[in-house]
Amino acid sequence: MNCIVLVKQVPDLTDLRPDAWDTEKGTLRRGVLDSVLNPLDLHALTLAAQVRRDPGRIIALSMGPPQAEEMLRDCIARCADEAVLLCDVHFAGADTCATARALGQGIRRLVREFALGDDYVILAGMQSADGDTAQVPPQVADELGIEQIAYAEAVEWRESLVVHRIGPHGKETVTPLVTPVLITASSSEAPVYRSFHRARMSLGRTVRRWTAGDLDLTPEQLGLKGSRTQVVRIFSPSESHDAECRLLDEPSKLAEEVTAAWRSGRRRKAAEAQAPYQLDGREPAHTGEIWVFAEHEAGALHPVSLELLGAARGLAAPLGVKVGAVLPGHQVEPLAAQLTAHGADSVYLLAHPLLEEFRPVPYKTALARAILERRPQIVLFGATPLGRELAPRVAYETGSGLTADCTRLEIGDFTREKVTQTGVLLQTRPALGGNIMATIVTKNSVTQMATVRPAVMKALPPDPERRGGVVPLDPGVTEGHIRTRVVARQSLPEGANLGDAEIVVSGGRGMGSKEAFDRFLRPLAGALEQALGGRSEIGASRPAVEEGFIGREHQVGQTGQTIQPRLYVAVAISGAIQHLSGMQNADLVVAINKDPHAPIFRHADFGIVGEYESVLPALVEGLQHVENKS
Amino acid sequence: MSEVDVLIVGAGPAGLASAIRLRRRLAEARKEASVVVIDKAPRLGYHNLSGAVFEADCLDELCPGWRADPDPFVKNMVPVERDELVYLTRSKMQPIPASLVPRHLRHQGDHAISINRLVKWLGGVAQQAGAEVQLGFAAGEVLQEGGGVRGVRLVDLGRNTRGRKQANFLAGERIEARVTILADGSRGVLSRQVTERHGGNRNSQVYSVGIKQLIKLPSQADFGAGRVIHTIGYPCRRDVFGGGFLYDMGKGEVAVGLILGLDWRYTDLNPQREMELFKAHPFVAGLLEGGEVVATGVKTVPEGGYYALPKLAVDGALLAGDAAGFVNMRKIKGIHYAIRSGIAAADTVFDALARNDFSESSLKGYRQALEPGVLRPMRSARNYRQCFKLGLYLGAPLSTIQHLLPFGLDAEPDHRSTRKRSRLNRSPDGGLDKATFVSLSGAAHREDEPSHIIIRDPAVCLECKDEYGNPCVQLCPGEVYRLREGELVLSPSNCMHDGSCAVKCPYQNIDWTPPEGGEGPRYRKM
Repeated sequence: MNCIVLVKQVPDLTDLRPDAWDTEKGTLRRGVLDSVLNPLDLHALTLAAQVRRDPGRIIALSMGPPQAEEMLRDCIARCADEAVLLCDVHFAGADTCATARALGQGIRRLVREFALGDDYVILAGMQSADGDTAQVPPQVADELGIEQIAYAEAVEWRESLVVHRIGPHGKETVTPLVTPVLITASSSEAPVYRSFHRARMSLGRTVRRWTAGDLDLTPEQLGLKGSRTQVVRIFSPSESHDAECRLLDEPSKLAEEVTAAWRSGRRRKAAEAQAPYQLDGREPAHTGEIWVFAEHEAGALHPVSLELLGAARGLAAPLGVKVGAVLPGHQVEPLAAQLTAHGADSVYLLAHPLLEEFRPVPYKTALARAILERRPQIVLFGATPLGRELAPRVAYETGSGLTADCTRLEIGDFTREKVTQTGVLLQTRPALGGNIMATIVTKNSVTQMATVRPAVMKALPPDPERRGGVVPLDPGVTEGHIRTRVVARQSLPEGANLGDAEIVVSGGRGMGSKEAFDRFLRPLAGALEQALGGRSEIGASRPAVEEGFIGREHQVGQTGQTIQPRLYVAVAISGAIQHLSGMQNADLVVAINKDPHAPIFRHADFGIVGEYESVLPALVEGLQHVENKS
Repeated sequence: MSEVDVLIVGAGPAGLASAIRLRRRLAEARKEASVVVIDKAPRLGYHNLSGAVFEADCLDELCPGWRADPDPFVKNMVPVERDELVYLTRSKMQPIPASLVPRHLRHQGDHAISINRLVKWLGGVAQQAGAEVQLGFAAGEVLQEGGGVRGVRLVDLGRNTRGRKQANFLAGERIEARVTILADGSRGVLSRQVTERHGGNRNSQVYSVGIKQLIKLPSQADFGAGRVIHTIGYPCRRDVFGGGFLYDMGKGEVAVGLILGLDWRYTDLNPQREMELFKAHPFVAGLLEGGEVVATGVKTVPEGGYYALPKLAVDGALLAGDAAGFVNMRKIKGIHYAIRSGIAAADTVFDALARNDFSESSLKGYRQALEPGVLRPMRSARNYRQCFKLGLYLGAPLSTIQHLLPFGLDAEPDHRSTRKRSRLNRSPDGGLDKATFVSLSGAAHREDEPSHIIIRDPAVCLECKDEYGNPCVQLCPGEVYRLREGELVLSPSNCMHDGSCAVKCPYQNIDWTPPEGGEGPRYRKM
């Protein structure tokens, strides 16, 4: 079995020092940061070393500037046998679609040149540290017309290859029924090291370089020209926080302050409403309905779908168009009424037994067919694990631009080269490791697509009086679309319910170990619960989850959950925007970090600079003291 | 296992100079030999730290025509234009008239440089010359066989906190070399293994610790182009050997540093705190007003001088740069010696390659090669540092005639100077704290690896607590050592690899070993 590993060179966002940040422009000084192998791609490489079987080879494939060759040699020094770099000025400025097209074409050529036949697996990190869209791997799979297995954590060979992954309902063991297949890694047990003798060998290796011409691609299909999204504005994340962080020296003092603030019932101000957009009789750039993908599990709709219906109604009003919900599945008809009550004018039903459980290929086949038939102007997905797997493929197949992980959507005008696009979807999301916000528009697309973070938009109160139609459509799926089989399923050991918790105590990578989570965070959560009388839950930053300190169901921000607890305690969390966007609506934020420069302090109400090992036990003691006094 | 002809441990000025020189001489002679440089730093220069006011002439010999190189290092060199030596009292500043400044403390003609940029440039030159530079590989031990050095073994990779093998475990690789140049820096782990075995030094090596910060001044500030200031006096008590510096680095940045001889007697001396006191002195504070600390770092400087030099050539290996202790004690400068010793090592190895003989006798030409540029000036300063054992007021005048003394002055290891219950009792408040200091150094280690700082006997630390109050807690600028509920706990991931803790531990109970390659501080323009 051969492996093709998609790798990317990214700026090292783990070493953001003051001079790396251009505060005036609100951007990173790229030259200041090291360029490194994307951390999740390292996990993909590690899995590749386990998937590969003699006489198969591991081939690292990247698209990037000539400097990316250094990173490819790094891959050889770890475990890759060959390395190929797609390098051409025409590739520059590519969005995920244009990148996937080039990578897909590169893979086709690799398969020919190395005579891989069908005996290969493609591996990639789930997302890149800088772009952070998680769109390229699924879109490469779509370009090649193959199935993907996302969120892989381990692989092993039994009678055949099996992949251990985190599925929407817990841990899954999945086996691909056909190869090639694309596997995206969200972690691995222990990343493969560079060895000295391989590092020496890598210096003698030629890294092949292929240009657009070598891939039979024309400049129109590539780079900026071949892209379907465009960044129109970059800005610093606005200080959503009005209060300065009060740095305290004594944990006991912190215990008192937090208790007092909790009891005073502090609430954060709601975001201010904006003036509604008006077309004023102008011709909008897009026509058609606004659709929401109705995600459901175990017979219940995902809350994000209802939130998106609320958002869709807001977007539809100034455009004067209807809102549709697209509902794929088996025996899901009862959900239609709820979608109608929450704002759908029509529910497009894609009913088929093969859609009973989620698999990317059958789902995207059904959705793409419906979209190409009805041509909605906007389709919104929840940025849930499932949505992030599905939306990129639907967008790719329908030729639509897609923006991942939006936190704000609005209708607006956008002028470029003196041509104004009227009434388009302005999609705003955090980018570049979360240090900036970017507003993006879709171009060269009939349909504008976005995934939207859960718990950011507001669902409308259900209106049982609302009337809407149910429109059954032919999903067009067949047995041939089923290319993976789930061989085992195991529900996650503990059902973390972060969304409902009033108190969330989260730990970051700085906690250092799983043991530290248990030894330090849980007692604090318990003490807070005791002292304040709210339900508590343990949260975690993405790096902590990636390190395996705690399960992914505890992740706050990014692909994890967006929460609005009354009290949020961030321990050893630096506070990258991905994380902040998951918790910044908390009413009260407390930060404990040994690094006084950690951005988390800029978003906290109270903070202590110090080692969690000494602060947390003292804080627990302080809370007990406060509780005894009252 | 890997085999190379010439292995150079340490990609600093000494190691890279030897790689450049050797590859160029091989090319001139149309000979081929593999020259491989390894370093534990993830990138060129990341584990180097210096002031630095640099005597650039040594580069003329190494890289003729280098001044025309378009590299940022050459472009960013700041020629010294204003050279000041001042004496600081607690609140006043007294300039020392130029006529009274000893010749060795004048810096006209020198350049203020970033050693990180120097090393980055040298690394590129070495690679162009055909040397292999392999970064992120930490050597753990010298392969000593049959009384000689046969290469090195890298550290094990992929153990967890408890030392158990993880799935990605990679046993330390053997690199066998015909000859090894050990340029692993001040208190280098490998060069010390060789010195412990072969000795050769009259006196124990002694060290100072240098604390440095790079400060970005507000745009309207004018520090003075090409201005370098050296200070003596405050914050050092007269029985603490040390001094401060402020160098214009161009582009509105000033390098600020404090160097303290580790033979102080105080149990509670905290160099990072002393640095903040230095910065808070009205004279210094005035110069740095409104500035922002953008980078920090710490290193030790081997100060023992001539009498502390170990055996420089043994069967199969040479010692170069700080690893050997090549520092001009009167100037506290070592980069030019590092480069010159690298050149001398390369020339020695070149001849030995021709003979295919790397025995101690075949390498003995190294001393002669070092004689004019390194050993002779060091010999003339042989008693300089020892004079300051008498304190500043006696030591300074004595040091000016130290070369006339008909005998060598002894020096004891730094840790023996610490006196129980001798305290400075500085106020703990104000300025940059240690946590910030570490974060600005870029230091990072995998949190779940075994501690690379080994406490030989934890019971001794308890004894030390009663006797000395655990000086490591105060000393370490990285807050690696902390007391929690009366017990010493370690945060090895904060370590900046300076090794001053191991030098100063009163019981020599700390064993500093290299962590996995690629970790540690990340110095970029220090």
